[in-house]
Amino acid sequence: MRIGIGGPVGSGKTALVAALARTLGDRLRLAVVTNDIYTTEDADFLRRNAVLAPDRIEAVQTGCCPHTAIRDDITANLDAIELLEERFGDLDLVLVESGGDNLTAVFSRGLVDRQIFVVDVAGGDKVPRKGGPGVTTADLLVINKIDLAPLVGADLDVMTSDAHRMRGELPVITQSLVSDPAATDVTGWVLAQVSAVHAVA
Amino acid sequence: MLPEPARSAVSVAHRRGDSNGQPIPAITPSLAALTLADARFPGGGHVHSGGVEEAVARGLVTGVADLASFLHGRLRTAGLVAAAFAAAATVTSAPFALLDAELDARTPSTAQRDASRAQGRAALRAARAAWPSPVLDALVAATSRPHHPLLVGAVIGIDGGSPAAAAHCAAYLAVSGPASAAVRLLGLDPFAVNAAVVALRPVLDAVVAEAAEPCPPELLPAPGAPVLDLMAQAHVRQHQEQVRLFVS
Amino acid sequence: MRAGARVVVERGRDGRSAVRELRSQPPLALLPQRGVAAARSPVATVHVVGSASSPLGGDEVSLDVEVGPGAELVLTGVAATLALPGQAGGPSRTTIRLRVADGAGLQYLPEPTVVTTRADHHAELHAELGAGSRLRCREVLVAGRGGEPSGQYRGLVRVQDGSRPLLVQQQELGDPRLQRSAAHLAGRRVLAGEVLVWGDDPPTAVAGDWWSLVPLAGRGSLATAVGSDAIAAQRALADAVAAHPGWSEAVLGSQAVVR
Repeated sequence: MRIGIGGPVGSGKTALVAALARTLGDRLRLAVVTNDIYTTEDADFLRRNAVLAPDRIEAVQTGCCPHTAIRDDITANLDAIELLEERFGDLDLVLVESGGDNLTAVFSRGLVDRQIFVVDVAGGDKVPRKGGPGVTTADLLVINKIDLAPLVGADLDVMTSDAHRMRGELPVITQSLVSDPAATDVTGWVLAQVSAVHAVA
Repeated sequence: MLPEPARSAVSVAHRRGDSNGQPIPAITPSLAALTLADARFPGGGHVHSGGVEEAVARGLVTGVADLASFLHGRLRTAGLVAAAFAAAATVTSAPFALLDAELDARTPSTAQRDASRAQGRAALRAARAAWPSPVLDALVAATSRPHHPLLVGAVIGIDGGSPAAAAHCAAYLAVSGPASAAVRLLGLDPFAVNAAVVALRPVLDAVVAEAAEPCPPELLPAPGAPVLDLMAQAHVRQHQEQVRLFVS
Repeated sequence: MRAGARVVVERGRDGRSAVRELRSQPPLALLPQRGVAAARSPVATVHVVGSASSPLGGDEVSLDVEVGPGAELVLTGVAATLALPGQAGGPSRTTIRLRVADGAGLQYLPEPTVVTTRADHHAELHAELGAGSRLRCREVLVAGRGGEPSGQYRGLVRVQDGSRPLLVQQQELGDPRLQRSAAHLAGRRVLAGEVLVWGDDPPTAVAGDWWSLVPLAGRGSLATAVGSDAIAAQRALADAVAAHPGWSEAVLGSQAVVR
């Protein structure tokens, strides 16, 4: 199972990956591919926080085009996943974190099986209404940093209702990693995806 | 055995000096060549700058004029080697293992060899999907991470393209990718950069003419690109220390 | 002028390398080092002395070097080579063939080649290596004397380890557009290179600002440096060579012997 995690710069993608790795690292054979344009920065963040063994994290360079690397030409990411698979054999879950995107970015279905789009309240409460393929088609939309909503004057109710309106039946999770460092709801969703695949297999 | 001096690579190279007057071989259009040279081809090319990122970091390329000069040098050196090996790889039952060894010997820089094989391997994924052929199996049997020019030549050969078409494609790729990287890194005027690439036409034609000439593998051109090689290694070194956006 | 020089070195029963054949022909003279120290040394040393005004356009000069199994030869130049235009017209050509037999060692360390304006010089160097043999081979090219534009130079180096090519590289000087390019010499005037097939290669490439030492795909390494003058380039080349583990070990070993 490969899950892509995308979203605008600063929305908390890396923090979410860190939380997932922390809670799932013991339960699943897990690896991470990071696409941050600052190459090794996110990987270093994950390693420094001792979330995962350093060799379970691969950083890819995207040649200034983070969207291209996850959507149009997924080669560099596939190479990184192959490298991890060569290193560790079968993996239950590979998290592919995109570089900072705009709202039009989506992962190629050739790269990931599911994708999570992460937005945050500080980016403005109009973001879900604006839509774009990330918000409307991701398998899961995460509205992040809800603890900041009062501070930045964002209306969380508007955001969630807009999100549901744009996404129909697709799920939306609101969370704050400050109050819930384990990202309980997202972890549950991820586990459900992984076990669904295993059940089919 | 040593090659006869009369047929040596130096004499082959020497002809390049007069190649402005040579007739340019007509190149039959090849769909494979167009596809491979398309910037949207999903072969991992967009993450390579071909030395431009390091040249920019050193202040050696700051604008369109420097870039044009860089591309000129790159085309006549690394571009000619790539073009000649792509051309050689188009022929039926090309000796891939021999070509692989000869190309390795013409690519002293470890970083350049890695970049070439990374791109070859990356493009192989797309090639297998689009042009399944026993020729690709033979290439992979000889070298599991094929050099990019060999992959390009093999694919164009499978598609029925000529050695000149493969040389043309590989030589163009030797400058188009780096030109695009410069646009992204320096925010250069894309019209000016595109025009600079097109202005390389006479050099490109001469490179293709030389590269497409039938030649035993050991006598294929081998022009060195000293600073390009130095920069490729420095790029890798910098990668470990600070921000880099491209693999090469 | 056509000329051929030849030197053959073999390892004697006493373990010392001795010159078995020596043929000089103007403009190339080969002078073996003699004297007490040379007689004691296990390594044969031969100096290559070229005439001051050579090669000239039209000259064809060849040098054949054979180092027999287990033998050791150091072949050094004593002065820079000046490639000059000749009255006869046509290019000057130098062809050097180095055959290093199994377990043998050869250091070929000529002084720089200066490509003067209006010269048209072609140089080829072919080295064939036997099993377990060692080679250290230097080339320093200077594009024109100080202040003058470079003449034409085309060179080829081919190092072959048995049937496997280790290094095939051509160099070209004399086209200002090429030399200016940041892909070629970035405006520098001197290109220095040294092939080191001598024990352990570095596990990964080592690079400074204007030099690099790279392990080749087969065995051996290539040190490369560029500089605005011969001194700067040769200093940078020395830095690159010093980073080679096999060569450094050999140097330390021989110093220990001297002590």
